[in-house]
Amino acid sequence: MSLQNGTSGATLMIELQAVTVAYRNQVTALSHVDLYVAKGEFVFIVGPTGAGKSTLLKLLYRDEKATEGRVIVAGQDLNAIRPGEVPHFRRKLGIVFQDFGLLPNKTVYENVAFALRVIGAGKAAIRRQVPGVLEMVGMAHRPDSFPAQLSGGEQQRVAIARALVNDPPLLLADEPTGNLDPDTSHGIAQLLNHINIRGTTVLVATHDATIVDRMPRRVLAFAQGCLVRDDAQGAYREAVVGRGNGKKEPEAAPWA
Amino acid sequence: MGLGSFGFLIREGLLNIRRNGLMSLAALGTVTVALTVLGGSLWTAHRINEFAQLQPQKFNQVDVFLKPEVTREQSLAVQARVQLLPDVKSARLVTKEQAWARLQTDEPTITEAMPENPLPDKFEIEARDATHVDAMARQLRNTGQFPEVAKISDASKEVRTMLGFARIIRVLGGSVAVGLFVATLFIVQNTIRLTVFARRREIRIMQLVGATPGFIRFPLLLEGVFHGVVGAALASAIILLCGREVSRFVAQLNSPLLGDVPTHLGPADVVSGLIAIGAFVGLVGSYLSLRRFLKQI
Repeated sequence: MSLQNGTSGATLMIELQAVTVAYRNQVTALSHVDLYVAKGEFVFIVGPTGAGKSTLLKLLYRDEKATEGRVIVAGQDLNAIRPGEVPHFRRKLGIVFQDFGLLPNKTVYENVAFALRVIGAGKAAIRRQVPGVLEMVGMAHRPDSFPAQLSGGEQQRVAIARALVNDPPLLLADEPTGNLDPDTSHGIAQLLNHINIRGTTVLVATHDATIVDRMPRRVLAFAQGCLVRDDAQGAYREAVVGRGNGKKEPEAAPWA
Repeated sequence: MGLGSFGFLIREGLLNIRRNGLMSLAALGTVTVALTVLGGSLWTAHRINEFAQLQPQKFNQVDVFLKPEVTREQSLAVQARVQLLPDVKSARLVTKEQAWARLQTDEPTITEAMPENPLPDKFEIEARDATHVDAMARQLRNTGQFPEVAKISDASKEVRTMLGFARIIRVLGGSVAVGLFVATLFIVQNTIRLTVFARRREIRIMQLVGATPGFIRFPLLLEGVFHGVVGAALASAIILLCGREVSRFVAQLNSPLLGDVPTHLGPADVVSGLIAIGAFVGLVGSYLSLRRFLKQI
């Protein structure tokens, strides 16, 4: 059980307390990060390559473990979680990647159904849930296509459908528009926004200034493993330019 | 895990094999070769042991041929002297007439071509103990003691070689079989590791959408077992075919030493034994290859 107080426990989706991630080769990927994301929020995470964005996301889906500090996601203390519980924890998350991560030898329908299949869902549940989520991402018209027959934007829509088919409370997206042209990126951003309006907490790590600027949402800027800026309604450029005089000066890591 | 999931896992396993045809074929080929070597060695060792177990009377026995000019009285005198030797259990006289009669029935074409019987008298001498055969033969070769003796043929060279070989197999057989088994397991594990590696993307996605390690493992273990079983079936077919050809060749030699040895190990035993080994090797091999991948969670 987490030790957080009753109010924050009810409203927080993500809670990071003084989190440091250090690798054995003395590289510090994240350094003393404090971060709170409420349920239902939409958050952009920006920063240059190597700033720690991907490490943060890995930490949140328990692909990486904090060296120090506490990580609580969807009410689950990830420091205390047993390896056997990790798969069950991940069912509360939807994860989307830059390279879509679709299985090339499965159709659109099968790719989405796969996420339900591997958690033991029956045929009835699949028939009930897959068409609805494909409809929501605008891919209901091509259930029988294979990924290679789709454009990048369409593939990312299918990947988002797969991430959402379990109806997770939290969606994590790592550079979801990294491989897409501006117009398609805008469509994906709108889709993510739509998903957020439906009630899902959404975290998007991105390099894409356009989508951040077009959607005035909370922006967290990272640089060299530290959270250097947290704007309630930020813009990409501002956030990156302003990293030198961030609101939260990082404390020096003892081994940095 | 429901019945529907179980069906899904079986289908996934079979689909994996079909969709990764070339990789499956390579794995199958490797497994087949490895199991043919392992099974073939075990089978050969077993057959040689069976053959060796039928040989002790031949090994105990020495044939002593007397010089042609030796008379029947002299032969009988030699027999009496031989029987006094401490290592000799029995000495049976085969007269030249008896030997000629035997040859006439066995090889009539040879005897017809001969003007007269060239065969000498012969003793079939049995030693009390197989370990004393050499000492006994040495004594009989002593021309001072037995000037009438022309030639001694003790357990033939082939039998000796075969028995030596069988002894080596008995002594080393266990460790060699274990070594071969480990090598087979290693080869199969490495081959399956390749098929797992080819599917790392799929495994990664399964991990990220919350599949349990058991769920991820099952189709891949099934695939390993499938490769093991089919490889074993092919290997046993190869071994049985080769065994049949060898038996035919031996029978065709018509050698009194290398008659077809009856076996207690039927084709069904070879097939079922190898399939059991194959299934085990496939299962353990794929489990070992998967362990590393699934540890990453």
